Amino acid sequence: MDLKNNAHELLTQVLAGEVWPALADRHGFRVDPDGRPFLLPGMGGVTLGVHCGDPATGWAGDHVEPGLSVRHRDPAANFALQYLSCVGNTVVVSSGPAAGAEGVVIGQHAYVLVDMEESAMRQVTTGDQVTVFAVGQGMRLTDHPQIVVKNCSPVLLAALAGGTARDGRLEVHVAARVPADAIGAGSGMVSEFANTDLMGAYAGLGEDLSLGLEGLRIGDVVALADQDHRFGRGYREGWTTIGVMSTGSCQLFGHGPGPSTLMSGPSEAFRLVDDPASNLALLLGRTDGLRPDPVAAGGRDKS
Amino acid sequence: MSTTPRDTTGDRLVSVNLTAFVEQASVGSDPFRIDGEGVPYVPIGDGGIVIGLRLGDGVFDHASDHAAPGACLIHDDAAVGYALVAQACIGNPVEVRTGAAAGGIGAVAGKRGEGGRVIAVFRQEVLHELRPGDQVAVRSRGQGTPSLAEDVTVCNVEPDLLEHLPITFGAVTLAVKVRTVVPSRLVGNGIGRPTPMWDLDLQIDRATASMWKAEQLRLGDLVAIDDIDARYNAGYRRGWRSIGIVVHGSSPQPGHGPGVTVILSGPAGCIDVEADAAHHVGLDEEALLEVARARS
Repeated sequence: MDLKNNAHELLTQVLAGEVWPALADRHGFRVDPDGRPFLLPGMGGVTLGVHCGDPATGWAGDHVEPGLSVRHRDPAANFALQYLSCVGNTVVVSSGPAAGAEGVVIGQHAYVLVDMEESAMRQVTTGDQVTVFAVGQGMRLTDHPQIVVKNCSPVLLAALAGGTARDGRLEVHVAARVPADAIGAGSGMVSEFANTDLMGAYAGLGEDLSLGLEGLRIGDVVALADQDHRFGRGYREGWTTIGVMSTGSCQLFGHGPGPSTLMSGPSEAFRLVDDPASNLALLLGRTDGLRPDPVAAGGRDKS
Repeated sequence: MSTTPRDTTGDRLVSVNLTAFVEQASVGSDPFRIDGEGVPYVPIGDGGIVIGLRLGDGVFDHASDHAAPGACLIHDDAAVGYALVAQACIGNPVEVRTGAAAGGIGAVAGKRGEGGRVIAVFRQEVLHELRPGDQVAVRSRGQGTPSLAEDVTVCNVEPDLLEHLPITFGAVTLAVKVRTVVPSRLVGNGIGRPTPMWDLDLQIDRATASMWKAEQLRLGDLVAIDDIDARYNAGYRRGWRSIGIVVHGSSPQPGHGPGVTVILSGPAGCIDVEADAAHHVGLDEEALLEVARARS
């Protein structure tokens, strides 16, 4: 998108994070929509083999977090890391055998989620330090004042397909449209943190659970109907939220693959174009995992 | 059809005395929350002791955020608090054990999620004597109540209270009188969370209430939510229906609103509902306190 914006006003902050371990409790099992217990991997750690462009559903996992799951040990520093990291930001591994390897923020999920080349990712494990070059919060679109942008790096904004349409609306290419019935856990939370789980994407379970979302892919740009995410996450008829799929399969009921929020505004401010190619893998460039775009790495050089 | 449940009060249900403490409302270092239009506000009535708010009051009547009638009960130990919320059921007795109100008897009127709170109703004269930190005992009973009708799950309610609710029981179906029936997409905070431990916020405010026939929505009302299966976690399932009792008032926060504690969930074909937007009568404070007192 070639849009007038205030990217020149934005600051980059260097934030430290740590690859966080997967967590469990002594009972192990959680419960699926039909009341069946399950024990599956997904959150935390370094999840291999799932990258932008890959299916979001169909994994034997719960809350599948592609790539690195990153937090900070200090609670307040962690909130800063989660709130300020934006999709498209450059991440550099700072310790361990993969030190120097670069990746890209693909979303938040109470962890900052980082995709990178599979070969580098295989060298990363929990406890490794990473550095996030956080830039994007505070972005405004000069010609679209009704639309609030968040969690979106200037690099991603430039890479998104679409732009100002002839009628003045903001054209956004989306790989999928999500009905309001699908909005699951995450509703009522701030939209700079975690993501919005989508129900109705339980591949392989009952037809009465389906909302036709089983085809979602990690990295898909999606439109959420009747959602206002400007100051939190809530249902509001006639409003539209744009997000990018950052997490995959869930078995936990009321949860599911989830988008991190990128934009929100009245529906009439948008012109949505259905486009299966609207996925981070294609938008930011991918070879077996997202490579930081040379422009994205430029965020590091700003100072 | 009968007006009492079949085989619900069986002696198999276990009663447990649980210790809890009256909560003090708390905020962060920033006094403000942000409403749906981006306007900061100071949250009033979100937890702790709230005077003057009663079952039967309208959910939009007060300038408040998640205000619940009576006192919220918590426990500082997180695991103990989760057990308290999971096991407490609407209608359970609450006895004040310390402080000026010691000996006062109240009743569980609902529950709230996140950290976990039990909402307890007391007579106003008892409530005036309560102080944050006072110790109470909740005599929990209700989880594990057998199915009331085939395929319908009952939870979060003291069995003795059921006959005081506008529910008619049959072998296969039951009939419930409610204030209104709302679609699943109105469920905000609480979706995806375990029903014994969270309420479901309905994203309704003064401005949108008429769309959902909820202008008269009151604390204690029964509400039906279509296409929500709340047997375990709450989530979308086409053709299902859940019944909840309104336990706290509205909220300016996006994704929040008047909250219901779910008591019934099953296929919609097994739960007939009759909505009366103007004259519905739900959970009555006197009946609730009477049931609790009888079990104290």
